[in-house]
Amino acid sequence: MTSDPPTPSTQAAELALGLLDGDERAAALRRVLSDADFAQEVAWWREQFSGLLDDYPPVAPTTDLLPRVDEAAGAAVMPQAPRRWGWFTGGLVSGAVAASLAAAVMIPRPAPIVVPAPAPAPAPAAPLIAVLVPSNAGAQAPVAAWLARNDGALRLTAAVPVPRGRSAELWAIGPDKVPHPLGLLSATGRSSQLTDPMAGLKEGDTLAISIEPQGGSPTGAPTGPVIASGVVVMT
Amino acid sequence: MQESEPSGVGDVASPDTERRAALAAALAATGLRDGAAFRKVYQLTSAKLFGICLRICGERQAAEDVLQEVYLIIWRRAASFEPLRSSPITWLATIARNRAIDWRRANGHPLPPPPDAEPRAAVETADDAALADVAMIAREDAHHVHRCLATLDRGSRDAIRAAFLDGATYAELAERAGVPLATMKSRVRRGLLQLRKRMTDDL
Repeated sequence: MTSDPPTPSTQAAELALGLLDGDERAAALRRVLSDADFAQEVAWWREQFSGLLDDYPPVAPTTDLLPRVDEAAGAAVMPQAPRRWGWFTGGLVSGAVAASLAAAVMIPRPAPIVVPAPAPAPAPAAPLIAVLVPSNAGAQAPVAAWLARNDGALRLTAAVPVPRGRSAELWAIGPDKVPHPLGLLSATGRSSQLTDPMAGLKEGDTLAISIEPQGGSPTGAPTGPVIASGVVVMT
Repeated sequence: MQESEPSGVGDVASPDTERRAALAAALAATGLRDGAAFRKVYQLTSAKLFGICLRICGERQAAEDVLQEVYLIIWRRAASFEPLRSSPITWLATIARNRAIDWRRANGHPLPPPPDAEPRAAVETADDAALADVAMIAREDAHHVHRCLATLDRGSRDAIRAAFLDGATYAELAERAGVPLATMKSRVRRGLLQLRKRMTDDL
């Protein structure tokens, strides 16, 4: 008895699901490398099937594995003071303090891990990221900002609430402490296209978001409240 | 991934949205070698990731060993997490699923029996903090794949779900269902073709 032959799409789905083994799996993997359409189809299926991750019920592990992970990592993952993550649980922190807390995240420390991470292929320009701490930290969780430097696309991991009829404007604050306008957040509150990313934002700068009149600050400097800020680092 | 529509202006973020943002921020900071942030990632996700490892490995001890490896991988790879490409919990859960499947296949371990029903009892054993991640995957495409799968015939649907959730191969699915390998392949492929069509039509 023979089976229905695979189509390119079902073969892609089979690979994405993990149904294949042995020669069939090897053949499908070779095809990913040689056939861009096929690779895209595999990625599409992976994305769709990821919705099924919902169906795994959570089960608490019997033991706290963190000490074992720490030991296996060969050095101290743990001993950082957990205090500054207090704002995740709703501690009320002033904007200025919050900004300095975010800066604390960036303090360079010796890499504690012996085995280096499998380095991703070096991008032409590594993206910049910043963990933006809301000024009203009790009401909202921090948001990570991600800037692709090659095209100036900036994304946030969660939407920033913007009052109706106002705009959220992005600012770079460098060593001179003067906010330089970078552009407006999109209507979704999640992304922006920076006008001049290379000139505007550098590692070590503070990235801040303020609420401005529709269309942005009329003066070129922030006129409304700063709702979130954080220090920019390179990935 | 599609951006969600702008929620009402000035809306207060839902608890799930906040947890997702907290996890994204903790994962980003883990990429910067922040141990406390890593602990936060562990607290938010260990029950979900253990649930994945346990289902695929089929035994607690192995699942804990795999989970330990999974967090080691997360610690090492956090810097390569790209928030634009996937949600944090999807990224983390995929690492756990892949690692657990690798373990089961490398050890020639048999496919564990399917859970009788959705084992809600297991959920009750996880404490509240550990449950914080339950709803984090809830989003449009999760509903989408569930809705489209529900339209397939039962045999195809069960096989596709088991392939994903148990990490089963064709040979294992055929053995479990007591049908020839070719029959199982045909059943799944027909289901996948229908699923592809439903998902595309429905978009």
